[in-house]
Amino acid sequence: MKKLYLVFIALLSVLAVQAQVDRSKMPEPGPAPKINFKEPQSFKLKNGVNVLVVENHKLPRVSIQLTIDNPPILEGNKAGVSSMAGSLMGNGSKNIPKDAFNEEIDFLGARMSFGSQGAYASSLSKYFPRMMELMADAAINPNFTQEQFNQEKEKIVTALKTQEKDVAAIASRVQLALSYGKHHPYGEFTTEATVSNITLADTERFYRNYFVPANAYLIVIGDVEFKDVQKMCEEYFTPWTKAAPPSFSFSKPSDVQYTQINFVDMPNAVQSEISVQNMVNLKRKDEDYIAALLANQVLGGASESRLNLNLREDKGYTYGSYSSIGSDKYASSTFSATAKVRNIVTDSSVVEILKEIELINTEPISEKELSRAKAKYAGSFIMNLENPQTIAGYALNIETEDLPKDFYKTFLEKLEKVSKTDVENAAKKYFSVTNARVVVIGKGSEILDNLEKANINGSKIPVLFFDKTAEKAEKPDYSAVIPEGLTATSVIEKYIETIGGKTALEKLESYYMVATAEMQGRKMEMKMKKTSKGQFMQDIKMEGNSVSKQVLDGDKGYIIAQGQRKDFSAEEVLKVKEESAPFPELKYLTAGYVTLAGTQAVGGKKAYVVKIGDKKTAYYDMETGLKLQEVHTMKIQGQQVQQTFLFDDYKEVSGILFPFKLTQHMGPQNIDFIFSEIKVNDGVSNSDFE
Amino acid sequence: MKSKLLMVFALLCSFITIIAQEVAYEEYDLDNGLHVILHQDNTAPLVTTAVMYHVGGKDRTEGRTGMAHFFEHLLFEGTENIEKGKWSEIVSSNGGTNNANTSQDRTYYYEVFPSNNLKLALWMESERMLHPIINQDGINTQNEVIKEEKRSRYDNAAYGKLLFSVSENLFKKHPYKDPNIGYMKDLDAATLEEFIAYKNKYYIPNNAVLVVAGDIDIAQTKQWILDYFSAIQKGDDIVRNYPQEEAITSEIKTKFYDPNIQIPATIIAYRTPGFKNRDAYVLDMLSSYLSDGPSSKLYKKMVDDQKEALQVGASNVGQEDYGMYLVFALPVGETTLETLNISIEEEIAKARTAIMSENDYQKLQNKFENRFVNANSSVVGITGSLATNYTLYGDTSLINKEIEIYRSITREEIMEVAKKYLNPNQRVVIDYIPEETPTN
Repeated sequence: MKKLYLVFIALLSVLAVQAQVDRSKMPEPGPAPKINFKEPQSFKLKNGVNVLVVENHKLPRVSIQLTIDNPPILEGNKAGVSSMAGSLMGNGSKNIPKDAFNEEIDFLGARMSFGSQGAYASSLSKYFPRMMELMADAAINPNFTQEQFNQEKEKIVTALKTQEKDVAAIASRVQLALSYGKHHPYGEFTTEATVSNITLADTERFYRNYFVPANAYLIVIGDVEFKDVQKMCEEYFTPWTKAAPPSFSFSKPSDVQYTQINFVDMPNAVQSEISVQNMVNLKRKDEDYIAALLANQVLGGASESRLNLNLREDKGYTYGSYSSIGSDKYASSTFSATAKVRNIVTDSSVVEILKEIELINTEPISEKELSRAKAKYAGSFIMNLENPQTIAGYALNIETEDLPKDFYKTFLEKLEKVSKTDVENAAKKYFSVTNARVVVIGKGSEILDNLEKANINGSKIPVLFFDKTAEKAEKPDYSAVIPEGLTATSVIEKYIETIGGKTALEKLESYYMVATAEMQGRKMEMKMKKTSKGQFMQDIKMEGNSVSKQVLDGDKGYIIAQGQRKDFSAEEVLKVKEESAPFPELKYLTAGYVTLAGTQAVGGKKAYVVKIGDKKTAYYDMETGLKLQEVHTMKIQGQQVQQTFLFDDYKEVSGILFPFKLTQHMGPQNIDFIFSEIKVNDGVSNSDFE
Repeated sequence: MKSKLLMVFALLCSFITIIAQEVAYEEYDLDNGLHVILHQDNTAPLVTTAVMYHVGGKDRTEGRTGMAHFFEHLLFEGTENIEKGKWSEIVSSNGGTNNANTSQDRTYYYEVFPSNNLKLALWMESERMLHPIINQDGINTQNEVIKEEKRSRYDNAAYGKLLFSVSENLFKKHPYKDPNIGYMKDLDAATLEEFIAYKNKYYIPNNAVLVVAGDIDIAQTKQWILDYFSAIQKGDDIVRNYPQEEAITSEIKTKFYDPNIQIPATIIAYRTPGFKNRDAYVLDMLSSYLSDGPSSKLYKKMVDDQKEALQVGASNVGQEDYGMYLVFALPVGETTLETLNISIEEEIAKARTAIMSENDYQKLQNKFENRFVNANSSVVGITGSLATNYTLYGDTSLINKEIEIYRSITREEIMEVAKKYLNPNQRVVIDYIPEETPTN
């Protein structure tokens, strides 16, 4: 009995019971967990290669990373030679043909890749010795061939083309080129012209000069024994001949004299890429390094930082606005505050970002912000330690950046000690309001007018123009391509002339059209009749059933949609009338509200853009005169919606050219109407409009 | 060198052992139907807390695309006890990180904290499930934010609409036809009432799984889970009855224009079964056979030997109801898309008609073994796999057993599956081409 009772008690105690919790109180953290700080083991080969080993036996896998920590390399008019050298490596070696090499790596289920300044491989630990052997062989005895060279060259040129209209790719290239100048290793970029200057001999020379052991670090992480790694490295990497890379100097970039916008026009952009940037001289070993990181954290390092709270959560301008500050032991790095925003809010976003930078420069930050920024850094520091790559990375930083041995061991203590004043001083020192370069890449025709009016503290921000290669450019002139003397009327006259002439059009009394289309897999048929007496009928059938019928006879009309008949209001009559004229262009000739707005490409053809009032725009082919497209703007449930009609496949019927294909875009939907029949002055009677 | 190479091969072939560690876990249900999975790993002082709701882009009515993703944004707006705008601040000021993502099939929220903040994470996720604040103010802001997300991810990005060009052609009736992020007009039209109804329908404990993984004490964790989650009311069972697609029996050839590109791409796509189906695993292997690694069939032929493609890739995009199997390639120089299509079809035809070599088969098995070992390398990754296996595959134990499925697939089966799904008359061929943009 007693025993049973005991069991019962025991049962009760293991059954968790729901306790009353006070939800309105945020739970307090428990005692801080202990951090295990592991350090890698290391040794050095005679040729200068430093080897770091992090043993981690959790999973049966190993990674090998070779990093050559050379100073930045200026490639000049052969920019791209480094990436060519990198892509020619890893294609077998002088000892193993390419196909056998690739086949074996794939067979091991492994990965191996090479760059101009390093290599990376990973595999299951049982294949590790062979992986290291293959990697060393490919790194030390690469096989550069003309055939492979030609192929990589063509690939690099094609890859450059893939970027030409990519707004983000152009933005990052221009941001760097403007900051550093195009004659700095960090500012130069590869073009088709520089690629064409590169020869096979250049890539071989690059390899010989820079792929050398003097600054090389080999990092082995995973399920390995230190002594085995040591033996293998000695065997496989000792043949790498000792050498150091040539060194050269380059100019130090400086900030702009005054805050300015540097604008690059990209007509296909639907968002602007904004980067407010300045140069910083910051190294990891600097006294205020951690303070600078915290200042950036408060301003824009995370989603709860000031920039994102303002531009995303408050204003809804962007999916995200962030800032970053770089550090570099060789050269200046950059601070930048960035956002991708929709065209219409580009100027406001620039101003808001500048305001935030000014605010953190001039006003004290709050204690709360500081402790939050510290907690975030401490958290991510602890998190990163889970990853053995981090441990190796820290060790590498200590070696290459001349840091105290305990730099990372004491990181959390140092972080805790940073004061509010330290952070404020770092903000003042590293974030510039008066010498900021605001790089904006976007669609000039939509954003430039407002961008030129943008001002901060009452003074306008000058706008300077650049092209996609960061060269100075003229301000784009969006009206320049319209020939002298050309007007909207002459464009319309040409159109009328082309499709049959004014007389023929005026003689038209009626026409009748039948078209078919497919919508979400269902067949749709449209019949339309129009007369010059203001009569209009349109009947749309889906799978044989009428879904919408509109009829207009002079000043009255109705619509039947889904079986419901509704008479048109006076306003609707006017609207339908407007749309139902057989050739509305005849009316535009005398209407006062038609203007020539510029030129634009439509489906690969150049066209004149004619604005008809504020709700409709028509596009006429510059060469043939035909109408290519109409865009109608309307309001649906309070939202501006655009509807686009494309005209194609013009064919003659009774002396008049009609488009036999009409494509309607509405939002993402595309409907192609194919006309099967068009009749002129035939098949239409008054009874059709009753 | 050569003889050594051969020896290594011979050695490898005799070498099939189970090597990855088992992921140990415990799972149970609360009374309200919330499924709980716990996984303990004390190697680092971290804990990941995640909730996966079985609701995704496909769960919507016509004209209300993008609801699930919109909802993901709204659930960061605050709860009755967490003020608007404070969610991320609480996470970061306690040293954590958090995020969420939405697919066509499910929505996933997670936080990673130092392990002394597990209670906080559980409180936050329970707040989100119990009483999030959904109001017009939040809807208005997030509507704009999502539109910017859509622009930066899809509309302003080179090849950004590639997947969408496939799904809109492979699906005519099933909700997979529409982009997960939705259409702007639908985002604009959704009302507050609709969002609240959506919450009540899908964001319920019996449609969710809570996974806690990392440096935890199991008994204490269970107690806290009970404390914070048991008060949440169970909801009605969800019935899904999405239209079935009719088989594609003749090739669909179409064009898609992208204003952000200069080099065109070709895409050949096939509709395949949902990822629970064994055939989907076979298709995974087949895509690896075709394009994973420099010695794979398509890469070796098109990029390396014939030098006609800049890139070629085959991918089996797994989804719950139907998958999408697609091959895409970018031409080099003057190569036409038609040339690429012919090359691709030649290799696929071989896969349909001939059994692959023993060596290629062994290579595939080695690749999948490597993938399996790496899949469970981080606690965050394990958390995601546990949640996905339970929610979408209905079998948590797949985390340890998935490799057995791949091992059991034979060479003959791979050919049969290619023959079943990858015929020319079942395919969609898309010319993904540059759209001329206005010069001003």
